[in-house]
Formats: sequence, C-alpha cells, structure tokens
Amino acid sequence: MYRNILVPTDGSAPARKAIRRGVQLAREQKARIIGFYAGPQWQLPVYGEFVPPEVYSPKAHAAAVKKTATRYLGEVKKAASAAGVRCKCSYTMGDYPYAEILKAARRNRCDLIVIASHGRRGIARLLLGSETSKVLAHSTIPVLVVR
Amino acid sequence: MFRNILVPTDGSALSRKAIRGAVQLAREQKARVTALYVAAPYNPRISDETSVVHFVSPQAYAETARITARWYLQAIEKAASAAGVPCDSVHAFNDLPFEEIIRTARRRKCDLIYMASHGRRGISRLLLGSETSKVLAHSKVPVIVCR
Repeated sequence: MYRNILVPTDGSAPARKAIRRGVQLAREQKARIIGFYAGPQWQLPVYGEFVPPEVYSPKAHAAAVKKTATRYLGEVKKAASAAGVRCKCSYTMGDYPYAEILKAARRNRCDLIVIASHGRRGIARLLLGSETSKVLAHSTIPVLVVR
Repeated sequence: MFRNILVPTDGSALSRKAIRGAVQLAREQKARVTALYVAAPYNPRISDETSVVHFVSPQAYAETARITARWYLQAIEKAASAAGVPCDSVHAFNDLPFEEIIRTARRRKCDLIYMASHGRRGISRLLLGSETSKVLAHSKVPVIVCR
C-alpha cells in the first residue's frame, strides 16, 4: 500500500522513535524510506544597529547544516540498512521546516509521512509540536503521528 | 507491526476515506479492525421538557442512536469483510468523542488509530478537525491522519 515513506528528523529522541516506526512499517510494506532533514536558513546576524565583528558566513553555515544533516540522516540510514529497507536521504535549508517537509514528500512521491508528535521544541507532552501540526494541516497525504 | 487498528467514524465522507485506508492497511498488516461510533448522550433541552411536540424520550433517543450507529458501523464491517479482515464494532455514548476514542483504544488494546483529518464539523481543509487534534494530543498510540 505504501511505496515511499517520508521520515523527517530533527535529531531529537521523539524523532528517533518515529524513525524506528517508519523503518519497521517500511520493512513490512516493502516500501522505501526517504530520510529528510530541514536545517535553518542562513541569516545575517544583525542585532539592531549592532553588527557582530565575526560574521558567520553563509558558507560556514551551509557546512554546519550539512554536518548536522549527515549526523541525523545517518541514524535513518543505519536503521534502514539494519532492517534491509531501501533508503534515500536528503536535506535542505529553509525557514519553514513544514513547507520543506511537504515539498520533499511531493518531490519523492511519498504516500505516507511518519513524524514524531513533537521534536526538539515540544515542551508539553499534551501539545502537538508546531511543525507536526503544520504538516498535518497542509499535507495532502496521510500522516502517521508517533508518540 | 500493527495488530488492532481503531477506526472511529462519524459517518462523514472523509471518514469513509479513512475506512478504506484503514482496512487496506489492516489486510496488509494481518491486523484486525475495531470500529467505533460515539454518539452524544441523551440530553434533552429544558425547553424540550415543556414542549410536547419536540420531546424525545430516552428510549426513543437510544433507539435513534442505535440505528445511526448500526448504519455507520456496518459500513466498516462491510469493508472489512470484503477484504477478509476481522472486525469488532463498538458503539458508545459520550459528550467528548476524543475521550471515548482514547478509552476504547486502551480497552481494546488497539496499537494504531486511523482517522480522518476532519469529520462533519471541519470547516476548512487547512484546519485539523477538533476531535482529531484532541485525539492526537492525548493518544499514547500512533495515529494515522488521513486527508
């Protein structure tokens, strides 16, 4: 039924749980895992009139995001290969992670998104994470919310 | 991975879509389906007590709810039997449908809740239905939100 399962991660513990679930489901459904990480966009660090002397360059930022993506997506790759599931990973930079997640789902023709109920920013267990609720609000494909 | 999939219905077009998805997943996962319909409990308005014309007796109300439940639950039972998936039906009364959904999931040991993004009351496609978001906030088991 499911062919391509998108698993977005932010490297948090709840996201790792979603990875486990997604990989398990992919194995049973003979589906492919699409690991995805959306890093923040580079920003000019200006605080009012003050410009810090050491500006973090866009290049350095891109390198840092790449490093983070490699680490987070490595977890997805490892889990998938351990389960014998085909896996493809990608990352982008964007101000709105939910929009990047939905774009990645469209690009890879995913038919399911497996996402944690909250990631790094979720404080209360009773509240749904902000990106997760935005993905749920805008997605046109089914979303599996893992707690 | 999933053994018992809870499918709450309110009889809306979108919940019919969720039924199709849930039954298909249940067949592939060799899982069973637990169908649930939650009706509002008997609650006559004060004004109804004085009005002979609009008064509904508790018995008549229960009978109407039972017929509605049968009608909605049969749709799931039919879809399940067509796919060769075992199916249980639960009909309950509760003012708070999400509470009943969570309780039934616990009691019946369901390991997945499969529901539509919004049911009869969802106005906008961009907003998540109220019961769905409450289920997402309180559920301990994974939830697939179908759009």
